[in-house]
Amino acid sequence: MKRVMFALAVLALFVGSAYAQGTIKIGGIWTLADITGKQGSAAAQLAVEEINAAGGVLGKKLELIVVDDEGKADKAAAAVEKLATVDKVDVFVGGMASGAELGKIPAFKKYNKVVMSTGAAGGTVEKGLGPSPDSDFYFHLHPWDYNQGASYAEGWDAIQKKYPNIQIKKIFLAYEEGAFGKSSWDATKILFGSDNRYIVDGASFKSALLGGGDYTAVLEAAKAFKPDLFIWAGYDADALPLLEQSKAMKFSPGIYLGAPPGWPIDFGASKLSPNVMLYGMWSTAMNNNNPASAKFFKNYVAKYKEEPATYFAPLAYSAVYILAEGIKNAGTTETTALIKALEATKYVSPLGETITFKPSNIIKHQGITRQKILQWQNGEQQVIWPFEAATAAPVYPFPAWK
Amino acid sequence: MVMKRRTAIIAALSIAAAVVLILWKPTVLIYGLQAAGLYAAVAIPMGLVLGIVHIVNLAHGEFMMVAAYAAYFGCKALGMDPLLAIIPTAIVTAVFGWVIFQLTIRRALKAPELNQLILTFGLAIAFTQTINLIFTSQTYKIPLDYVSASMDIGDLTFGVWSFVFVAVAIIFAYGVKFFLTKTMTGKAAVAVGQNPRGAAIVGIDVYRTYGLVFALALALVGAMGALFLTKSAIFPSVGSPFTMKSFCLIAMAGIGNIPGILGASVLLGVSENFLRAFRPTRDWAEIVFFVLIIAVILARSLKGRKS
Repeated sequence: MKRVMFALAVLALFVGSAYAQGTIKIGGIWTLADITGKQGSAAAQLAVEEINAAGGVLGKKLELIVVDDEGKADKAAAAVEKLATVDKVDVFVGGMASGAELGKIPAFKKYNKVVMSTGAAGGTVEKGLGPSPDSDFYFHLHPWDYNQGASYAEGWDAIQKKYPNIQIKKIFLAYEEGAFGKSSWDATKILFGSDNRYIVDGASFKSALLGGGDYTAVLEAAKAFKPDLFIWAGYDADALPLLEQSKAMKFSPGIYLGAPPGWPIDFGASKLSPNVMLYGMWSTAMNNNNPASAKFFKNYVAKYKEEPATYFAPLAYSAVYILAEGIKNAGTTETTALIKALEATKYVSPLGETITFKPSNIIKHQGITRQKILQWQNGEQQVIWPFEAATAAPVYPFPAWK
Repeated sequence: MVMKRRTAIIAALSIAAAVVLILWKPTVLIYGLQAAGLYAAVAIPMGLVLGIVHIVNLAHGEFMMVAAYAAYFGCKALGMDPLLAIIPTAIVTAVFGWVIFQLTIRRALKAPELNQLILTFGLAIAFTQTINLIFTSQTYKIPLDYVSASMDIGDLTFGVWSFVFVAVAIIFAYGVKFFLTKTMTGKAAVAVGQNPRGAAIVGIDVYRTYGLVFALALALVGAMGALFLTKSAIFPSVGSPFTMKSFCLIAMAGIGNIPGILGASVLLGVSENFLRAFRPTRDWAEIVFFVLIIAVILARSLKGRKS
């Protein structure tokens, strides 16, 4: 009996190893308790299954191995080590929080495999990666924070030009008092306040996510300033309570814009959501004028029976497709050849733009550089700018509370 | 006589401060009282447990979080308003609290205080992580029209919904006082709180009383969980800041002094909003909490040394 068991075990090992030789392994690292990681990894898995169903890459199947980084730098670093040494993955994908991404960088550099990063907007990550050629393995899809800021300034200029009834002179930023809000405030002061084209003011608040949730003081300050554009930089937990308190205080600026990383479930169903603007990269409204978006959305809903609620889902989906195309063109997963192949990427993404890689301030391979300006209309996010991806015209001004 | 005079002086000073604030910065008083109501309504059940069962429940805020999740999904499933979920949530949370008490806390009542702290801290982590695993860190909020109700007085417009927490805090404080002084079970609870051994000698079932008090406190926490849902979004870690704030308010008021929690909450809420009302001190509002607790404990220590 023992001999039979031993023989079976050896056979299983042999078969497993033979099967492994027929796969290209992608190591995915996300924060799985967060909606961005949960849906991002699900979308990546969807892309893998679609590619395998279409015959795989180089005659091999793709295999996605996902590890949870719990949003922590130490866990993220351990995830890279595990994927590189135990699972022996060929390439990496994933990422969201900049703090966790910083933890991965030394291990990424050690193993020198191609990384298709879907998150980490913080400029500190770019500094941690350093310049070319040491960081050439790193392909960063998400815009850096300075890319985002520049695109907002560009977007508002374009909107005011196209819609002369929209005029912005005074901007007020309500920012959560943590690192995210503070960096948003610093960037806003520089982007909008440096050349005196705009009058910029701001005040901090403690996000509900960090034990706060009372916005009365910051709204009093904003109301006294009478801004044309009111922006709040906080988290999804702040979205509805902030609007409810704004309504209670009858604070209705010309433009009311939220910039959280994600929105609460069913925010669109709220009576307070109409005409609230937001920054983002993708919305379901893009399914109407973007076939890649419609295909992604249809397949995602069919597989998971829920709608993607964050742009990190189409971003992760795109990341896998870009990697697969690069490996196909390179004919290998060997780093130097794959980098060269990926540099020629022209991927028509569900995000409404063709992704290519160009140098950013420090690294050589930056993908998307623009965020979009969107607006909640009839329960759905509509793209207002860039105009080539627009799905609706802006509703202006933000209607006074009834 | 000295006590009465001191109370009169404190009352006169409070009224004078309120009048000055109404004339100078009315929003400080309005929003300060609203914040105080929320702090007190959450802290009072913890004060009840600490005063009778003598256990610092570090899972206090997490019990409220679990209750809020139960209320949210109950409301979603039945299409119900959170206000209608207050009583069902209170009952469910009381039963849940009683079970948790019997399974865990009861067994640690005779253990050193550090063990009790570790136990309730463990419960807090277990609740947070379980909710995180089931529902992820995604936030949930029920949009409600009435929470945006407002009032205009001259040029001043302010939200009025949060005054509901002031009313609830007063009801909790005087309801608990009524329970402890006018009912047999309450009187037994006071006896157990003051001298458990003596209470057992006269025939009071000490552990049953502890369990009842814990369940009653959890019923109040459950009611607050449903009510909290009207004001705030919920997520796994939403309760934890309230544990620390509640404990500190109880320390400021003095253990067993339930009405004192109301006063401490008003002091904290108004002070925070006073600092937030001015640009240079806006970011200092979080510090006032620690300054107040250090000042109160220092003053109490000095007073104790004098006497």
